[in-house]
Amino acid sequence: MRPEPNRLRKYIFIAIILGLSIQFLLEYVLISGAAASTEELRVQEAQQAEFFEKRIRPVLTRNCSGCHNPKAQVAGLDLTTAEGFLRGGESGPIFNKERPEQSRILQVIGYEGKLKMPPKGKLKEDEITDIAEWVRMGAPWPGAAPVAAVSEPGKWAGRSTVREFTEQEKKYWAFQSLTHPEVPKVKEQSWVRSPIDGFILSKLEGQNIKPASPAGKETLLRRATFDLTGMPPTEAEIRDFLADDSPDAFKKVVERLLASPRYGEKWGRNWLDVARYADSTGNDEDHRYPYAWKYRDYVIESFNKDLPYDQFVREQIAGDMLPPPNSEGINRRGIIATGFLALGPKAIAQQDKKKMLYDVYDEQVDVTSKAFLGLTISCARCHNHKFDPILTKDYYSMVGIFASTKSFSDPKPLVSQVYYKPLVTKEEYDRYLEKRKAHQKLVRKEQLAIGEIIDTAREQLLATQIGRVAEYMIAARAVYQDKADPASVSREKQLDPEILRRWVEYLKPGRVRLHLLEWDKTDPSNLKTVADKYQAQFNERYAQWVKVLNEWREKYRQSVATNKEASAKPEFDAGKDRFFHEVLFPKGGPFAVSQDDKARFSETELKNLTEWKKKLDELKAQAPQEPEMACAVEDGEIADQKVFIRGDYHNEGEDAPKAFPQIVISSPGGPPQPQISSGSGRLQLANWIADGANPLTPRVMVNRIWQGHFGEGIVRTPDNFGKMGERPSHPELLDFLAWKFIESGWSVKSMHRMIMLSNAYQMSSQADEAAYSADPENRLLSRFNRRRLTVEEMRDALLAIDGSLDLTVGGTLQSGLGTDGENDNKRLSMNPEQLNRRTVYLPLRRANLPSLLNLFDFGDATTASGKRQLTNVATQALFWMNSEFVTERSNNFVRSLMADKNANDESRVKAAYRRIANREALPEEVSSALNYIADYSRKFSSEQSINKAWSSFCRALMASNNFIYVD
Amino acid sequence: MTDKFLKEQIQSMIYRPERPLSRRAWLRAAGLGFGSLSLSALLSDEMKALGATQNNPLAPRPPHFEPKAKRVIFLFMHGGPSSIDTFDPKERLIRDHGKPLPFNRPLAFDKSDAGPLMKSPWEFRPGGKSGLPVSDLFPNVRDCADDLCVVRSMVGEGVDHGAALLQTFTGTSTFIRPSMGSWAIYGLGTENQNLPGFIAIKPSLAHGGAKNWGSAFLPGTFQGTAIGHAGLKVDEIKDQPIEYLLNKRFSPDEQRFELDFIQNINRRHEALRQNDPQLEARIQAFELAFRMQAEAPEAFMVDKESEATKNLYGLDDPTTQDFGWQCLLARRLAERGVRFIQCTHSYKWDQHTELYNGHTQNAREVDKPIAGLLKDLKSRGLLKDTLVIWAGEFGRTPVSQGGDGRDHNPYGYSIWMAGGGVKGGFAYGATDEVGYHAVEDRMHIHDFHATALHLLGLEHEKLTYRYSGRDFRLTDVAGVVAKKIVA
Repeated sequence: MRPEPNRLRKYIFIAIILGLSIQFLLEYVLISGAAASTEELRVQEAQQAEFFEKRIRPVLTRNCSGCHNPKAQVAGLDLTTAEGFLRGGESGPIFNKERPEQSRILQVIGYEGKLKMPPKGKLKEDEITDIAEWVRMGAPWPGAAPVAAVSEPGKWAGRSTVREFTEQEKKYWAFQSLTHPEVPKVKEQSWVRSPIDGFILSKLEGQNIKPASPAGKETLLRRATFDLTGMPPTEAEIRDFLADDSPDAFKKVVERLLASPRYGEKWGRNWLDVARYADSTGNDEDHRYPYAWKYRDYVIESFNKDLPYDQFVREQIAGDMLPPPNSEGINRRGIIATGFLALGPKAIAQQDKKKMLYDVYDEQVDVTSKAFLGLTISCARCHNHKFDPILTKDYYSMVGIFASTKSFSDPKPLVSQVYYKPLVTKEEYDRYLEKRKAHQKLVRKEQLAIGEIIDTAREQLLATQIGRVAEYMIAARAVYQDKADPASVSREKQLDPEILRRWVEYLKPGRVRLHLLEWDKTDPSNLKTVADKYQAQFNERYAQWVKVLNEWREKYRQSVATNKEASAKPEFDAGKDRFFHEVLFPKGGPFAVSQDDKARFSETELKNLTEWKKKLDELKAQAPQEPEMACAVEDGEIADQKVFIRGDYHNEGEDAPKAFPQIVISSPGGPPQPQISSGSGRLQLANWIADGANPLTPRVMVNRIWQGHFGEGIVRTPDNFGKMGERPSHPELLDFLAWKFIESGWSVKSMHRMIMLSNAYQMSSQADEAAYSADPENRLLSRFNRRRLTVEEMRDALLAIDGSLDLTVGGTLQSGLGTDGENDNKRLSMNPEQLNRRTVYLPLRRANLPSLLNLFDFGDATTASGKRQLTNVATQALFWMNSEFVTERSNNFVRSLMADKNANDESRVKAAYRRIANREALPEEVSSALNYIADYSRKFSSEQSINKAWSSFCRALMASNNFIYVD
Repeated sequence: MTDKFLKEQIQSMIYRPERPLSRRAWLRAAGLGFGSLSLSALLSDEMKALGATQNNPLAPRPPHFEPKAKRVIFLFMHGGPSSIDTFDPKERLIRDHGKPLPFNRPLAFDKSDAGPLMKSPWEFRPGGKSGLPVSDLFPNVRDCADDLCVVRSMVGEGVDHGAALLQTFTGTSTFIRPSMGSWAIYGLGTENQNLPGFIAIKPSLAHGGAKNWGSAFLPGTFQGTAIGHAGLKVDEIKDQPIEYLLNKRFSPDEQRFELDFIQNINRRHEALRQNDPQLEARIQAFELAFRMQAEAPEAFMVDKESEATKNLYGLDDPTTQDFGWQCLLARRLAERGVRFIQCTHSYKWDQHTELYNGHTQNAREVDKPIAGLLKDLKSRGLLKDTLVIWAGEFGRTPVSQGGDGRDHNPYGYSIWMAGGGVKGGFAYGATDEVGYHAVEDRMHIHDFHATALHLLGLEHEKLTYRYSGRDFRLTDVAGVVAKKIVA
């Protein structure tokens, strides 16, 4: 009988194991034979077996085999057999034969490292001791050959994650080269105005669906204007377009809109969603990125000037490495562009600094791969991608590029310092640093001089007062507790009244202070004793402190004399003695002296103080001006990246030389892997992504552009072209557009033209019943997708209604560096309802985005997000009903309506419709509005009832679907 | 529908005050039933699977199985209260006070400044019938010991506040994921449609800020609604607890009158555009908002409570009145069916120095309000299905810092839960002898999340949302339900 294949495999396996065992056994006998007789060996073996069965196996079974068994093999580890134990897990061997005491298993069960096992709780001490003992014996496992594990470091850790791609993976649509599809032939050829229409109509005809009729001119103008500029059309623009009967009337509109600076503000914002743009680090400390706005302005400008997209890609990844224009010293624009990599969320107070850095590289891999390639490469950080042919090695090959790129000027401090790059040459910046150093030295000198005057004054004060601590304490108690009159107490005891006042202030109960508990609890009979204790302690501490200070002074004098760097002036460590510290140092403390305590200084001292202070102020005003900076990256120390097994940096695996995803490299016609022999590889990455042969880059971008017009992409998951993303509804059209995109020189504006001048774009958002039922989700585009305004469009359009929108371009409204107090209002983003700039220019504190933006589905600015999920919820309706911002818009607008003396009520209603809904009102809408206004002012009559009624009407129209939906 | 027919309908819809058009009348007139609209188009598959409707993604949904708790009140102690000074007594620290830590110190926040072992300055005493030990910092909470399920073996990964807060609320310390409350209302909807389902009272702006009650990639509908923030005083919040909730300018009559007109315009707009569920959804959103505006403010009127109740929460004492107000408001919201409520004692517990002074003051501010909340919930029969959670973002080290403080310790710290189906008078898990590492029944934050969802009747592995090509969940790829704590 022929064994079944499975069984056969099992036999072979057993044979191998036996073979290995015999070999190991021989080895063992040979080695140990020299030291022990066979008999001794047998006894020893029996003892060890007993020890194992009684003390070790039960512990393993109880605590480990739940996960580490042949079936589950969590972390690749099986602890039910000797083979499994000796083989170790994914992270390598757990047993070290040469140095058993260094075996990983002991660290892990000892809870010494990051990995702690068992996860549910540390083993009992005696269990740990037993296992340690057993491991020291050489981990004898009865029934199996007592063998050495494969214990060379690296051998198992080097187990590669690389695997062959399946045919299916290789053939996945997104990795195939671009095709150059022909425009399909259709029956209704007359509908085809642009090649796009051929692709759309052919699918519709295949399903017997008719495309919707063309949209009306008002609708089309509003649609196009919001699409390209994020703003409503003005009344003049509406009038002009309605009056223009020429066949290229709409083409002229498109050109006008593309030439408007408002275009870059709208499409720049679309890109900023993808670039997860914000003006602070978010996560833990939310430090400001003080120069982030330069990147934002760069993006807006790039769209406005139709920077070829391939160049846009290159600049954002490696702009600092591209040759400067006009061969000036640095590529200013290119440096700013790398803000794309620099502006991500960062947990800068994370204390595991290596992990923090790798989280940043991860974030950079993530945003780069999603934004440009539509790939979720970061999913492969801990294991090969579960759905796409992206290997862990691919991931770390890309991580290596960012690990060789500098994002921090100094990651080591408690709060790591983010890197800002000077926008001047290195020489110029070094000169600045020199100047700053010299200046800081001067400042320190002045500060020191002031400090010395103050210290001297304090010392003088103490010279007479130090012995009177106890007296002051007792006197203060008489004041705060027994309500004695402070003036008479100080007179009677001959105490300084000001110092007594401070002692009272300091000692009076209210705050909990451990170091004053004894004093607080003392009963009157014991007062003196306790006060003397405080006095004694104070004396002792003061003597020590003066000694420290004088020693430093001596050293300082010497270093000044020898022109050496002086050590910093010592500061008293408050935790050492809080009583002493509080009495002596903080401003207003009983014996403290500050610049404001004029009575403590002699006239000369006061004069000197004032002079020094003046000098210091002058000096500070002369601080050298910092050169212009940018939030940007540059090449750092070059890293030889390894795969981190399970994403754990403690656990290095095979080498991951800098490279790009194998599946794309190996696709026929795909862009080849360039040589990366020096540098970070960022420039090579940039060029590789921007290579026309890269099948993903052009597809991903034309899909984003398409989505910006139709509300949905041809691929409806714009940041994920992988298996878990959606398939293209019109793959040929996608390729056609990508091809034309490259052919146009990667011109985004030419794509807008091509799309907007098609019949597909100009369809009505209404279609017949048959089209709805055949394709409810409108995947085949039988009609235009009606869409809700984004929050930026909504707010900007509201501000445009009453003419209060400030159209200043660029710059920043954010000021300051670092972060703010934990619950300071400044932690909030600036309130959009109190500003008049376009929304794109409002600074975004990542941790606390403006609540208006949150409310209307802005997203969270933490990962590349090419598509917002727009919602319709009650809390949004509350904004329309109750926001002062909305009422202010309508009140202002009504005032201007009323100011027009030539207008009548009917024309005012029409004007409101034009301004708010951007179209002519229907006659029934006019009469409806007039009825409402009359009725409102009748019902709620008041002094301003007419304006109030009009304002109500305008607000209602703004709140209505006429405003917030674009047909 | 012919154009002529439509036109007639539109004609009939001209606003005439004597004949306001009800939605039903309009639907009849236009010959369209609500059910004929395609409602599903805009809903994600997940939402459909959960039984949400387009108009109301927050409609209550059945849990995966019979829940123990229907709602959660999370009392968050921002800064990191010390476990070994509150709920986890350590004899060894008394014995070895001043001696060095007997093993290598794990990664701390401030590596430079560690002292020797430091005993707790507070005594522990048994509380209730169970005798569960609680330190003198919490005498009032100690009276409720029989309701407390203290977890002494919490483990997190963040040694800095930001990472630790984010992990406590979202499960991960470095990536932005939906917060616990967002997952809860995503899974369960909420019971009172006139109030938000997830409310964060006076939340902290720092250490993750709004991400700690945000919905991240879940639809914005599931984000928490903030009631002011920790930097504001109660008096600054009371009058407008939820942004845009109230209108001081117009009377309800005026607003209703205007809303009828908005809806009139919207109906006309909708009649000209068929088959678009989002238009109807927005019309409904306005109606819901109007009801919310009328009914929600009452929930925030803490002043309406009896003096006895207010005093129970310490509203009569300046020390306790802020957190007391938060706790009492939380009870009012819980009573009204809000699913997930966070109260925050913001950023006070971070005693790197002066542990005694700081913790004494902090505990005074919250002890009475918390005990008041537990007692009040119990007497109203609400505690049995309300899960109360008390937690900081981590605990503090058994070794001193800066002379008289303690550093951050995420390796083994205590939280407690009460009500909502947990065992009372019970301590779960343990730390090592000095209280540094959790060693017994370790409860990682993922396990804590899995357990909290379990109590709400949700299987943490099934509560997923597809985003960016992956099915995400609160517990990432981990999480084990601690069944031992379930009553």
